[in-house]
Amino acid sequence: MISLTINGQTVEAPENYTVLQAAEKLGITIPTLCYHKNLSPFGGCRLCVVEVQGARLPMTSCVLPVSPGLVVQTESPAVIQYRRAILRILLTNYYDAGYKRTNGKFDLDEDNELMHWARVYEVDSRKFMAKKPRFPIDSDPNPFVWVDMNKCIQCTRCVRACAEVQGRFVWSQSYRGYKARIVAGADTTMLQARCESCGACVAYCPTGALDNKMSVGAGRADRLIRTTCTYCGVGCQLVLNVKDDVPGGRVIRVTSNTDESVASVNGLHLCVKGRYGYEFIHSSQRVTRPRVREYLLDGTPRPKERGRWVEVDWDTALNAAAQGLLRARNQHGGQAIGVLASGKNTNEENYLLNKLARQALGTNHIDCCSHIYHAPLTEGLNEALGIPAMSNSFDDIASRANSLLVIGSNLTEQHPVFGAHIRQAVLRRKIKMIVANPDFTNIAEYAALPLYHRPNTETALINGLMHIILERGWEDQTCIAKHPNGFAEFRAVVAKYTPQKVAKITGLSVEDLYQVAEILATNRPTAVLWSVGLADPSTGRGNVQSLANLQLLLGNLDVPGGGVNPLGGQNNIQGACDMGCLPELLPGYRRVADEAARAQFERAWGTTIPAETGLPAAQMLSAAGQGRIKALYLYGEDILNTSTLGAQLRRDLQACEFVVLQEILPSEATRYADVLLPGVGFAEKSGTYTSAERRIQMIHQAIEPIGEARPDWRIIADVARRILTGEGRSIRETDYSAWDYETPEQIFHEIAALTPIYAGVSYERLERGERLQWPVDTAEHPGTPLLHCGYFSEGQARWTPVEQKPLDIESSKPQELTLV
Amino acid sequence: MSLEVSENQLDAIIRAAIEKHGDQRDALIPILGEINQALGYIPGEALGKIRRCINTPEEGLFLADSHLYSIASFYHMYSLKPVGRHIVRYCESAPCHVVGGRQVIQRLHDFLGLAPGETSADGRWTLFQTSCLGICSVGPVIVVDDDIYGHVTPQRVSFILAKYR
Ligand code: SF4
Ligand code: SF4
Ligand code: FES
Ligand code: FES
Repeated sequence: MISLTINGQTVEAPENYTVLQAAEKLGITIPTLCYHKNLSPFGGCRLCVVEVQGARLPMTSCVLPVSPGLVVQTESPAVIQYRRAILRILLTNYYDAGYKRTNGKFDLDEDNELMHWARVYEVDSRKFMAKKPRFPIDSDPNPFVWVDMNKCIQCTRCVRACAEVQGRFVWSQSYRGYKARIVAGADTTMLQARCESCGACVAYCPTGALDNKMSVGAGRADRLIRTTCTYCGVGCQLVLNVKDDVPGGRVIRVTSNTDESVASVNGLHLCVKGRYGYEFIHSSQRVTRPRVREYLLDGTPRPKERGRWVEVDWDTALNAAAQGLLRARNQHGGQAIGVLASGKNTNEENYLLNKLARQALGTNHIDCCSHIYHAPLTEGLNEALGIPAMSNSFDDIASRANSLLVIGSNLTEQHPVFGAHIRQAVLRRKIKMIVANPDFTNIAEYAALPLYHRPNTETALINGLMHIILERGWEDQTCIAKHPNGFAEFRAVVAKYTPQKVAKITGLSVEDLYQVAEILATNRPTAVLWSVGLADPSTGRGNVQSLANLQLLLGNLDVPGGGVNPLGGQNNIQGACDMGCLPELLPGYRRVADEAARAQFERAWGTTIPAETGLPAAQMLSAAGQGRIKALYLYGEDILNTSTLGAQLRRDLQACEFVVLQEILPSEATRYADVLLPGVGFAEKSGTYTSAERRIQMIHQAIEPIGEARPDWRIIADVARRILTGEGRSIRETDYSAWDYETPEQIFHEIAALTPIYAGVSYERLERGERLQWPVDTAEHPGTPLLHCGYFSEGQARWTPVEQKPLDIESSKPQELTLV
Repeated sequence: MSLEVSENQLDAIIRAAIEKHGDQRDALIPILGEINQALGYIPGEALGKIRRCINTPEEGLFLADSHLYSIASFYHMYSLKPVGRHIVRYCESAPCHVVGGRQVIQRLHDFLGLAPGETSADGRWTLFQTSCLGICSVGPVIVVDDDIYGHVTPQRVSFILAKYR
């Protein structure tokens, strides 16, 4: 600790502090422009000057290290004079064409940091500002980032943000003297300079030289609502900027969350999807009124193509939905109905869908896209290690792993903000990364060794690596001794996978295999990351079990910076599985087949739950095609466009007798639906999502539902209530049998009461900004950033010998599919 | 010095430069220097080629076009545009300026009809300004290709330039 005096107050600061940071400790603000606490120091703008006793000239506090006995004045008359001069100089190179809508009309931008300090130091910006532009306004064709270098003050925050946050190095400060300017790449467009449009440079620019193109002239927000991004399992926090100039409000831009009391995975960082992908909220395509098919209103038999849509009021639509489902149940039993949830729904909604299926309808046929591409990733893991999720956390991996194996994941596109963290880990900590993927992925640029193996040969590849590890004696004996279950069988299988044989199967070289094994063995802990690239239906489970074996063998489980880490495709696929939107699992990963687990929910819900496991999504739909399933309730999954089985699914849906679809935008499935219930987007409702690292986070309603659309939890409850009061349906009244929720929070209470891993989570804790990763056992439990293997299997892991499947050429043929 | 460079020629120059100076970041300035020396300027494609040769992210070194451009544009001794057969540089720093440099510069501009950074239509001349060359004692100073001229007067300008075809 170093003691110094600032404005007459003594402060103790750590040795690596700057005077600026020491002042902050005292609550003294020193004006800054080029400085940003998340970025490396630059010391270029000189606005942060302070007077230091004994020094001839004012000194820049953002780069001045603290030293013992330093006596500093931050607002002396001399300093103020100096700052004014600096602001005037900055302004002479600053030209504002007046396209910002500051007070409702187009005028000068008053909201940026430069203008703020000019106001504070009483420098007349209009007087000193440049009178004409030096550069074209809006000079870059990037669709999201607005570039107006006339407002640039050369602080280089964008240069540092792009390098140190996103890891793309698009910007540089080029030329010098009066000609100095910020340039993209080799003076090209941003996109040519490899920009990924993440908007980090925009978020850090203090003058609006870089701005959000979609909303440059949109004006000031009336309200700022923090929420969780809805795109991927990283679960970034972001802020919806809402303007109340239309009834219910509208989202005019998305900005970074600056509230540091809220634990977040992303800081100010976002990716292009989270920051700029919000236009769907106000899409003109939105379904805003409930619809039913005409035949349902007329009471006539269903025509083959289902006939005409009629817009109706909510009551009519909800009754039609409930009656159709009830009829199927009364005629054919609950197991004649299927429910399809989604990894895009909130936990509250997915829990209700689960309750709708198992309680109100009495069926275990409930699934989400999980069984199309996620379940193989987590099921194999649960079987092998007793954990169905990422064992470690994003920040733990980025800051503590010494090597990484990224396999079957296009990391920087699927989970961009985490991908950017990994880039920084490679650049700054120089950790070794192996990227294995049949095709080039962007993250492979940073790989110590990229591996391009043949598709679907991952099992052989991993077996081959383990063969080498055993051959070289690199295995972790302690871990093997701790988990002996199945090791001998495992060893026998791996023994067959000689490097030569594996090289032949995978198309990789023997040398590369040895090198990879050595990198992993000598740079522990290794974190293994994978995503849907491994989820081929025939090999997915085996791939994941092999990776579990690898981590057991290297002793990388239960340690910081290691672990097994499946990265699901959708933002809340983890939550969907947690909530029991799976045919064989109840909320909290308890098996339908387990009588005690069933009994608990039967007591809670006042009904009996069928003992027989339900059908996974694809089979559910084909059962509908074959007439065994008579009715379907679909919410949140664009099933026809996200599965490789599209053509078959179309026929199945077409054949299904009765289909209820809850949606915000018309999808292809609309054609096959009988009742359409308009739900809302993530900006119009509240609830929680659970990110891939098991972190439960809030979404907050920012605007009113559009048109007559209703929050989805309300719709599900409305349908369920109508079913339960319908003919032939009665349940016992118990603690959680009712559907009288008035808020999502009430639903969450029920989740917490019935799901031990969520037991200690509450909206109250989440609103306080707590970082809660399940299992959270009690209201005092701090959550579990590192999940130990064996959580769901009495502490035991199991070695699962996995053989490489003969390559099924049919299933690896290219298929038509749309990515969403 | 020529305006056109073939892909192969450029590759060869870069390869030789990297062999000579090494493939670390601190070799960038001499590598760019070699290219500028050989071609009279640094073609845009060269930046991408150098980047690909030097990049080793797993060593914590990630080089983008922006890094190279920033260096190449910073130093007056590099040009990012193709140049004429002969390069004329004049010193713009104060010591030369005050001993008659201003008049020499004016004369150069008039005689060549070029502003700094421009190349004549016939491809004969490119004019650059540069900062102090460290030989202020003989100022005003101009440099044509690799030849240095001191004590230049406006009158001498046309005689000096006549030597270059
Ligand atoms: S948008 Fe992102 S990738 Fe593009 S220049 Fe800015 S920081 Fe770099
Ligand atoms: S564009 Fe913005 S962030 Fe970048 S140097 Fe200019 S003022 Fe700073
Ligand atoms: S903030 Fe310290 S020099 Fe810019
Ligand atoms: S000022 Fe011209 S050479 Fe030094």
